[in-house]
Amino acid sequence: MNFLNFVNLYGAWFFLAVIPLVILYFLKLRRPKVDVPSLALWQSVLNDQRVNSPFQKFRRNLLLLLQLLLLALVILALMQPFVPADAGTSEYLPLLIDNSASMGAIDEGSGKSRLDSVRERVREQIENLSGSQQIALFTFSSTGRRLTEFTNDRRQLLKALDEIRPTDLPAKLDDVLRMTAAYTTSFPIDRVTVLTDGNLQEKVEFELPFNLNIVRIGAPADNLGITELSARRSGAEEWEVFVRVTGSAEQLLEAELQLFENGQQTQSSKVEVSKDDAERLVFPVAGQQTVLLEARLVPTGFDALAADNSVWLSLPAVRPLKVLSSESLNSWRRAAAAVPNVESGVISGETGSVPDGSWDLLISDKPDDAKLPIPVKVLVGIIPEDLKSLVTVKEELGAVVDWNRTAPLLRHVQLAEVEFAELPAYAEGASTKDLEDRGYEVLVDGKAGPLLLQKREGLQTTWWFTFHTDRSTLPFRVGFPILAANAVDTAMKQSSLAEVNAAPTGVLPAQNLDPETEYRVRSPDGTFTTLRSNGAGMLVGASAGRVGLYEILDGEETVAAVGTGLLNIHETSLADVEELKFTEAAVATQAAEKLATDQPLWWILAFAGLGMLLFEWWYFQRARNAE
Amino acid sequence: MDASATRNFTTLFDNALLAQIERMRLRPLRRLTNRSRGEHLSGKGGSSTDFADYRDYAAGDDLRYVDWNIFARLQRPYIKQFQHEEELHVVLLVDASTSMLFGDKLLTAKRAAAALGIMGLLNSEKVSVYAVHAQESQPWMLPPGSGRTRIRALLQFLENVAGGGDIPVEDAVARMLRFHRGRGVAILASDFLTLGDLSRPMNMLYSAGLEVWGLQILSDAEIAPNVEGDLRFVDSETGYTLDITNAGELLSIYHDQRLRLQATLDNMCRRRQGRFLSVSSAVPFSDLLFDCLCRQGWVQR
Repeated sequence: MNFLNFVNLYGAWFFLAVIPLVILYFLKLRRPKVDVPSLALWQSVLNDQRVNSPFQKFRRNLLLLLQLLLLALVILALMQPFVPADAGTSEYLPLLIDNSASMGAIDEGSGKSRLDSVRERVREQIENLSGSQQIALFTFSSTGRRLTEFTNDRRQLLKALDEIRPTDLPAKLDDVLRMTAAYTTSFPIDRVTVLTDGNLQEKVEFELPFNLNIVRIGAPADNLGITELSARRSGAEEWEVFVRVTGSAEQLLEAELQLFENGQQTQSSKVEVSKDDAERLVFPVAGQQTVLLEARLVPTGFDALAADNSVWLSLPAVRPLKVLSSESLNSWRRAAAAVPNVESGVISGETGSVPDGSWDLLISDKPDDAKLPIPVKVLVGIIPEDLKSLVTVKEELGAVVDWNRTAPLLRHVQLAEVEFAELPAYAEGASTKDLEDRGYEVLVDGKAGPLLLQKREGLQTTWWFTFHTDRSTLPFRVGFPILAANAVDTAMKQSSLAEVNAAPTGVLPAQNLDPETEYRVRSPDGTFTTLRSNGAGMLVGASAGRVGLYEILDGEETVAAVGTGLLNIHETSLADVEELKFTEAAVATQAAEKLATDQPLWWILAFAGLGMLLFEWWYFQRARNAE
Repeated sequence: MDASATRNFTTLFDNALLAQIERMRLRPLRRLTNRSRGEHLSGKGGSSTDFADYRDYAAGDDLRYVDWNIFARLQRPYIKQFQHEEELHVVLLVDASTSMLFGDKLLTAKRAAAALGIMGLLNSEKVSVYAVHAQESQPWMLPPGSGRTRIRALLQFLENVAGGGDIPVEDAVARMLRFHRGRGVAILASDFLTLGDLSRPMNMLYSAGLEVWGLQILSDAEIAPNVEGDLRFVDSETGYTLDITNAGELLSIYHDQRLRLQATLDNMCRRRQGRFLSVSSAVPFSDLLFDCLCRQGWVQR
């Protein structure tokens, strides 16, 4: 490690100025002439050993030495010496700044947020930036964002730094690391510094191409927050709302949980939670009408993080699930009707006419029905159009070889001894991979081909039975009503009729609206984003970086209101990790009171030069007055 | 020349001082005298009336000098010895170089030479005066002479000595010895500020049978120079320059060197049976004469 480095080493050429300085000094030195009787005594004075001692020689040419010293100090200051922070100091310094929700946590003592502390340290590093060094600023929460390119423009960097605000999003390091890794192809990046409070996911799926220096800033703080808000249907016309409150402190923290329905407080409850003792509260909410629910936590004492104190949830009006089925599929219809809160409709077998209304689940064996705009479909004995070249159905007996037991549709369904009169088989050269390439997932494999396929498109889920269930022993199995109930259950969830979960910040949940229509999304801070729904009427991809209520407007009319919450137990805990596990290595996080930065010395030299100049002036004036 | 000066016998000092000088005598340390008879007592074996010592009688001794009282008491003859009365040669060397023009040093030197010369003349000694001036020229010289009648010539010679020469004192001594003959006392009135070696002229004087009396005359500017800062000193005789930085800081060393020079000169003179005295030209001449020289034993009143 070099003790001292210079930013501008070429400044050493200025030391050649010593030569003219010395010449000018002796040329310009005008001594008053004094006639003396003889030089004998003065000559012997000069020959005296005391006069020729190094100290006396120094005194004799003090002015020249002062000028040389002054020149040396000025030149050294021009060369901009600095004490490097460590051996890894490199020319290009990417700084990854955590601006996740936990960085907004306030320190009780200083009143500053963790992000403020990080900002101070980064500001110091920017201000101490040496000439050839360049910094690129990145922020990361759930995604990464580049604020500046590599630059040594302090004003630009400080401006970008000042604009960083904590988000209401959880921290995720992967994206920003990938973004930084992309820069390694253009810049020789040796070391990347991450400035965080340590509230990160312990496991990071990333192979490090550079050294990572994770600096942990921030002290533990007391915090309470809502980490879960969901509602489950309870009876025909009621919701049960579940709220989980979690704390970060060892001791019990008190708060009042208030529940607001359409802006009116309806219920409240006292909670006491600690780090190891979360509290789960249940509130009954009437479900006859759509309710916009807000759970608000009002801590009694100090609460470090405000972002996790409020969560929103939209509860739809309670109604029966509407299942539409083909007239020919009696087995399915009867099995679905056995599930409570289900209202059935039948597609005429002769005319194929579909009853009016909005339907939640379609069970059909008619290929044309596959196009109906229903979120959940069970299509029986139908090969998807785009798979007809890959899968054919033979008139042979078939059997189940294996199935995905964890798929929602097949939970608790036993298919081992089901027999089929049809044998779906892969066409020659086709395989499961070809199906997967087209977006299909094989849930049940037969001995020659797929028996059950699943395809998800946006909020729509479609299951394709490649054999007709009526030509199998499946309807006679115990698992069949379970299968139908699973389909109904999935449809209920899809239609938010059984269970509703509050949306975490990040991206708003997809909204089913009018197709191909432009909507404006008003965020809690009053800003608008314009989005367009797709052909299926799904409005997706609306960014929701803040906790609060998002309104979706069609013109000036509000067509939907969706609330979000932080809902991240890790962020609420404000816990920090000691070590991050990357794909190939583990990197320890370092608690740092002070960010190691290069220490520039030019200002010390400049002040020393100024002091030297004043001393020289005083000394010169003193000599002149003495004359 | 004012009226009072015209009334004085010399411009070097007034008549009252001259009268006092006439009553004073030189006090040489040794009896380095000329063979010719003079008024100076010079060791035993002389024919003066001043008793010096006894010695055993030897065959051939003049019976007139036997002490018969001792013989009657001890029954052994002893010869009485009397001190010689011989002539002392007083050589006065006045440094007339330019350096002596600073602070009335030359005037002091001339006065001292005049006073000591008058004492010698009135004591029937041979007195010669040399004023060494320039390198190229011969020294101004007052040939040896004795007797009261030489006083006028001595004073006139010294009155006419002008400074401004460029010869160092060691060369001045060497040049003087080319002309001088005779044993006695050599009185050097100079500032002795020279870059040369002074031991050589001292040896030459000693070898010539002269007792060396060194009278160093320094001005106040040399004894306590008031200098400060960076200066360029110019030698008054040679024109050489010497750059001194922070002269004020070097004054203590200057004084040390001055005292060391005095000690060296004193040592040189004493080792050659002589004496040395350093005086300031600012000291009144009467003080110099009646106080310093008397107390140092150079002269007696």
